[in-house]
Amino acid sequence: MDFSWTEEQRLWRRAVRDFAQNEIAPRVREIDTEERIPREIVEGMAEMGLLAPTVGEEYGGVGADWMMATIAAEELGRADISLAVPVLYLVEAAWGFIFYRYGSDRLREEYLPRVTQGEAFLGIATTEPGGGSDILGACRTRAEEAGDEWKFNGEKTYISGVRESLDWGGIHLMLARTEPDEKAGHKAFTFFAMPLKGTEGITPTFFEDMGRMGISTGGFALDDVRLPADHQVGEFNRGFYHAMEGFSAARTLIGATCVGAAEATLGIGMDQIKMREAFGRPIASFEGIQFPLADLYTDLEGTRLSTYKAAWTMDQKYKHEEATHHDIALAAAMAKLKAPVLGFKVMNEVADWFGAMAYTKECPVEMGIRGIRSYSIGAEGTPNIMRLIIARELLGQEFLPTLYMEKA
Amino acid sequence: MHIVVCTKYTPDSEAKMSVDEAGNVSWGDSPLIINPWDEYSVEEALLLRDEYGGTVTVISMGPEEALEALKHAVAMGADEAIRIWDDACEGSDTLATSYVLAKAIEKMGDVDLVLCGKSAIDAQTWQTGVALATRLNYPSLMYTINIAALDPDGGSITVERLLEQGRQVVEAPLPAVVGTIKGINEPRYTSFIGIRKAAKMEYPLWTLEDADADPEKVGPSGSGVRWPEVFEPPVREGEAEIIEGETVEEEAEVLVEKLLAEKVI
Repeated sequence: MDFSWTEEQRLWRRAVRDFAQNEIAPRVREIDTEERIPREIVEGMAEMGLLAPTVGEEYGGVGADWMMATIAAEELGRADISLAVPVLYLVEAAWGFIFYRYGSDRLREEYLPRVTQGEAFLGIATTEPGGGSDILGACRTRAEEAGDEWKFNGEKTYISGVRESLDWGGIHLMLARTEPDEKAGHKAFTFFAMPLKGTEGITPTFFEDMGRMGISTGGFALDDVRLPADHQVGEFNRGFYHAMEGFSAARTLIGATCVGAAEATLGIGMDQIKMREAFGRPIASFEGIQFPLADLYTDLEGTRLSTYKAAWTMDQKYKHEEATHHDIALAAAMAKLKAPVLGFKVMNEVADWFGAMAYTKECPVEMGIRGIRSYSIGAEGTPNIMRLIIARELLGQEFLPTLYMEKA
Repeated sequence: MHIVVCTKYTPDSEAKMSVDEAGNVSWGDSPLIINPWDEYSVEEALLLRDEYGGTVTVISMGPEEALEALKHAVAMGADEAIRIWDDACEGSDTLATSYVLAKAIEKMGDVDLVLCGKSAIDAQTWQTGVALATRLNYPSLMYTINIAALDPDGGSITVERLLEQGRQVVEAPLPAVVGTIKGINEPRYTSFIGIRKAAKMEYPLWTLEDADADPEKVGPSGSGVRWPEVFEPPVREGEAEIIEGETVEEEAEVLVEKLLAEKVI
């Protein structure tokens, strides 16, 4: 057991922290108000190798492993507690990896060099109006073979980066049903690379979010959308499994970025309680302040460790073939279960230390509270879905509640 | 073209310095960084290399901690990095340090241009660059804010120096020592690819013998500066007054009256 960082990891954390604290942190309020990530930040991220970093160098990526990708996620969360820049980062890191792994050569050549340069967006689109986590029940978007093309009809919703994809160009990895027979179970879906910009038959919609305002949330309806055959990503009818792979990656990065934002907020809070006085002494000297701080810090450190364990497990799988998809799913679900909820709790507590100021935009904490909530509400699965996965890995598939629902 | 950048490590600019009773200076557990002024030199060297071709070698005289500065420069894009150290170097002032750096540069032999930061943020002597140029008998182009022209084949360089009196344009033969200041460029952040290279690279260590340097001319015996006493500057005494008023205008008026009364304005 060795908790130390390698030289490369240490230097990378410092570099990302330097960049993020200098270029992103001072502009978080602006990002939140203007509802966009400034172009210079996207370009800076591209220069450092922070856009889809898990993609190989042949497509302009840097071939980062998951530990390095996770370090960057933590540092970006630490700088942008509104957690908007981290959405851009982690969606592209996780789903760029899936596209790099399973996309067709032509499409990878077309999109990945632009994605890694910040000139195109790469997102994920699985959720539909009927639901998100229950893909089997909710994914009704159909893809049908029409000659040498695919034809799509349906609707995707609560999708990050719809505006960015329309503005910059790019693709969303979109899950569609390709096997009408309900008995096919999970082997009924296929992944496709769906460009939103300029694609005939796409009608976008937009939502006004509560937080993490710098990145858009929207949806799109598909009305007889046609794409060439090479837009299929991965194996036919194996899309569900490719999606699960991407979800585990994204969950790990979510864990790290929420830990980073929570740590940053706790830091802001600690400065405040040392400075602010009540009843003639700094409020940091009250047990009512200290004990929650100690508890939160302890939980945070535990969550941080479990998040890095998830990243390590992913590297064990993808670099050394010494872990399974089950190991990854379990480790990533635990990180994702804990980090966003704990992060919210930390921010909520720190808000109390600031008093009324925390309820105003004079104080950054409100951006954090609004932003981090999106990571537990949804964003690659709710806490209950994480619990379902964890229990499934502990008890086995045969105890999945969904099995009993089908039997009933 | 072979460009050499001299650099050193310093404590982070946010470090809290303290001096104990024995006169030992400490910066606590502050991280070590490349001297921020040297980042401009490294950046300028990389820009020149990319424009004119050649290689950039970064050198630093210092103990193992000096690797921090070298690694940062390599992560930015420098091609080679050499650390120079010997136990005898301990306690060197700028006179001795410039001697060691000059000997190393002479040993390399094929150097066209030497860059360094205008000073280091720790001791702030502003001397090493000038001393280095003097020892090498190269033109000393300190406070350079712009390299206006460079002709590696013709062997000349034209720089703009930012002096108290204004900007001075100087042309000099190569090789020369250029001391960079803030504003000459915007140093890049280290990238993932650069860091991967910096973490894996071997950093050759030159001893004084490797640099053909005389141990008598380094360390305390080669230094002119003596440190009879080191102490923390006394805390400045002063009074702070918070000006109060109903409106900002009222506060401003009170402030102006007080400044007038103190004959500040």
